[in-house]
Amino acid sequence: MSLETLLIIGFGGALLTYLVGKTSEKVRDFFGVAVSLFLVACVAYLYGKPIEKTFYFGFFGLGLVLRLNMLSWFFAIGISGLGALCTIFSLSYMKGRERTDFYYLMMLLVNAAMLGIVLAGDLISFYIFWEIMSWSTFLLISYNRGPALAAGMKYIIMSIIGSLAMLIGMLSLYTTYGTLNISEISAVIASASSGYILFILIIFSIAFGIKNAVMPLHTWLPDSYAEAPSPFTAVLSGMLTRMGVYGFLLIMYVIVGAASALNLGSGVFKFNYILAWLGAITIVIPTFIAMLQNDAKQLLAWHGIGQGGYMILGIAFGTSLGIAGGIFHTLNHAIYIVLLFMSVSAVQYRTKGERDLNSLGGLIKKMPIAFVGGLLGISGLIGVPLTNGFVSKWLIYKTLIVEGYPFLAFAALIGTWGTILSVYKFLHNMFLGQLPEKYKDIEKSPLSMQLPMIVLSLAILVFGILPGIPLKVINTIGTSFGFESLNITLWGITSDTGTLNTINIFSAVLVAAVLFWLLFRLGAKSVSVAQDDSYAAGAHTPADKYHYTAEFYNPLYRMIKPFLRDVIDEFYYWIASLVRSLAGRVRRIYTGDVGYYVTYIVLFLALLIFIQMRWKIW
Amino acid sequence: MVVKIIQVILSPVLALAIGVFFLGLARKIMARIHWRYGPPLIQPVIDMIRLFYQKSVSHGRMFDLGIVLSLAGSIVVVLFLPFGGIAPLSSSGGLLVILYVMLLAPLGMALSGGQAANPNISIGISRKLILSLGYELPLLLVLLAVMTRYKTISIVEVVSAQQSAGWAFISFPLFLSGISYFLILPAILGIRPFDVSSAPQEISSGPMVEYGGKYLALAHIEHAFVLFISIALFVNLFLGGAANPVIFFAKMLVVFVLGLCINAVFPRFRIEQAIKYLWKWPTLLAFLGLIMTLIVRS
Repeated sequence: MSLETLLIIGFGGALLTYLVGKTSEKVRDFFGVAVSLFLVACVAYLYGKPIEKTFYFGFFGLGLVLRLNMLSWFFAIGISGLGALCTIFSLSYMKGRERTDFYYLMMLLVNAAMLGIVLAGDLISFYIFWEIMSWSTFLLISYNRGPALAAGMKYIIMSIIGSLAMLIGMLSLYTTYGTLNISEISAVIASASSGYILFILIIFSIAFGIKNAVMPLHTWLPDSYAEAPSPFTAVLSGMLTRMGVYGFLLIMYVIVGAASALNLGSGVFKFNYILAWLGAITIVIPTFIAMLQNDAKQLLAWHGIGQGGYMILGIAFGTSLGIAGGIFHTLNHAIYIVLLFMSVSAVQYRTKGERDLNSLGGLIKKMPIAFVGGLLGISGLIGVPLTNGFVSKWLIYKTLIVEGYPFLAFAALIGTWGTILSVYKFLHNMFLGQLPEKYKDIEKSPLSMQLPMIVLSLAILVFGILPGIPLKVINTIGTSFGFESLNITLWGITSDTGTLNTINIFSAVLVAAVLFWLLFRLGAKSVSVAQDDSYAAGAHTPADKYHYTAEFYNPLYRMIKPFLRDVIDEFYYWIASLVRSLAGRVRRIYTGDVGYYVTYIVLFLALLIFIQMRWKIW
Repeated sequence: MVVKIIQVILSPVLALAIGVFFLGLARKIMARIHWRYGPPLIQPVIDMIRLFYQKSVSHGRMFDLGIVLSLAGSIVVVLFLPFGGIAPLSSSGGLLVILYVMLLAPLGMALSGGQAANPNISIGISRKLILSLGYELPLLLVLLAVMTRYKTISIVEVVSAQQSAGWAFISFPLFLSGISYFLILPAILGIRPFDVSSAPQEISSGPMVEYGGKYLALAHIEHAFVLFISIALFVNLFLGGAANPVIFFAKMLVVFVLGLCINAVFPRFRIEQAIKYLWKWPTLLAFLGLIMTLIVRS
């Protein structure tokens, strides 16, 4: 199994799925799922087989290289695994919609392009795959037209800015070193001046910061997440946005190297320290903005930004625990956010696209699997112990505290408490509380939706109780960057300054829960009652909505809302409107009438003649 | 091994006993402050047993499971907290785990209550969560100051460091954090003036309004655990823990009675007032404490 074959299967499979779709929808669905599952199998097969191979020499004398190491394998398995689950999930969601062939083509294309990015061994192929990913993402974000077009436009403009920054960095590297092969550059770059390394890091950070939505480059994300078709939002939030994290790892620790990347500048003005603070800001502000959202997907989107902050914080902090935490959080976040978006789309699917948190409610009895998915998803997002999110956050907090950066740790911790408020509202307003009359006869989600949700729910628990499984792989990545190895057991990490043992927590919770369940069963039996049979202090329960869910945290809103405007987004819009009015003025000159143009030319010539006569400069 | 097993069984039982005792004591002291005689000390126990045999209503599976989850979470915290030398699981992740497992209790209650479509419950939960955000802000600063001061995330280490170097409550930078913790303690416990989430006269006990019979009994047990946990955490972090359970209990008693006497005379805050208070003085003190700790450390 070579890497070219893998990519050929990815890209070829995408095109074939499109062509097959022209004949039969059923066969296409089957074929698309088969391709995505086959990719998972191929990537899994390649575990622990380092490969580096130049597959094409002719690109202006530069070799295009594919390479596989632990870092790229880790991301590749995440991409292919989640991609397959999202494709399966799409089956019923997309059924009966228009342009589904196109949808599957783009979905599989994005998947293949992401695989290409992590497998690229030189910056040119990296860039090519990066652009394929960006453009197909743009097409999928604007799939629904209407407001989605504007969201897609915002995305692609910011994405192009990022790509241009990356292009400048690549050109600079090429003119300096004459090669764009990643391993060749990393061998020679250590001798460069720190100013040059800083320039390279900053220019690439712009590109990857936009992709990973690090504040202040985050503004494309909420609209794009909300407007994209929901199964694709899952892909977008799970892995695609996290290509930024891969990029940061690549530029900081693979190309530049830990020794130089962590020693740029002095005192508080170190590159990685400033990046860590950007990460911390990215955690706090979006998390609190998320609290104000009433749209389920917007709420999750803001958390997507916020959780990205943890990854950047861990990676930029640059200790072995921090790196491990950052990388592990990337995986964990992908798992639970995909699950949450699936849960939302399952509800959307049954309620004809409703995602307004104020008009849903009480769906727990109607859609139990979607509820369990939502519950485990938010538990992972909060980082409740025994879910995967806890372990990665624990690693990050611990290193911040032990190294003596309590304010960074504070930002990370308070983000968690902000998260609890908003995700409880998310779960409560969708699944708990009063079931509206119109959703009385709603059915539970179809099997093709339940299956991916069950798989991901299990993954959250398994990685939460036995975090050693992924941490072993992550530890290999860390040591390949030159960090010291961590002391990992199957259920946690041992060290002098604090040990984590999840199996102890798990057994304690399990035993306690069983005991209390028995105690609960021992008590007098309870009677099941209907939802409107509740205590209202003798008052009459109205027939329509009487439950308090809208403006759930109103007292808090009133206090914090003035502080939580997205000033940065407004600033970008101000620049955009400035450019637009400038362009409007320019357009007045270009009227399209030949007569005007002739006048311009004559005037210009007259000006030239005047200048020549007056000053005689030619 | 045998000792450990005995400890695992013993510490939740002790915690429950102390928590229930505090519940009874609180009623008695409050009554005396109000110039009433008050119920006997064991009234909470009598209530719980009676409630177990009474009829109750259920609003669904989550309504049942939530409360069990919440109790399980509390038990685990108890196992993690050193209690005068008894600390069966304290080496499994330290303060960070305690901080996070403490989430399970309110989360379980919120999920359980959430399934019943009663507006009183959602108002109560909303207030409870806002209030917890309110006190978490200073609490996190306090805990970070302690962890930064002793350079560890293990609570056992914090206790043993204090046993050699003296209580954190009377050591230089940490006394600020200690005062801050004491100021937010009633908010953590949800007692007056911070009883916004239950507020019996206003929203009929909020999240507990649909509970009756065994649900109410379990909710009382949960409350007893919460009392134990928040005070035991304070004793461990600032009063140097204790070498044996008796002294530990004595310290807890002093803290509890002091806190109760100060707060029994205040009327209830509105939720905004509570947040404003919590984010003003306690946060300021905790912030100062953390900065001082950083300066002292470097």
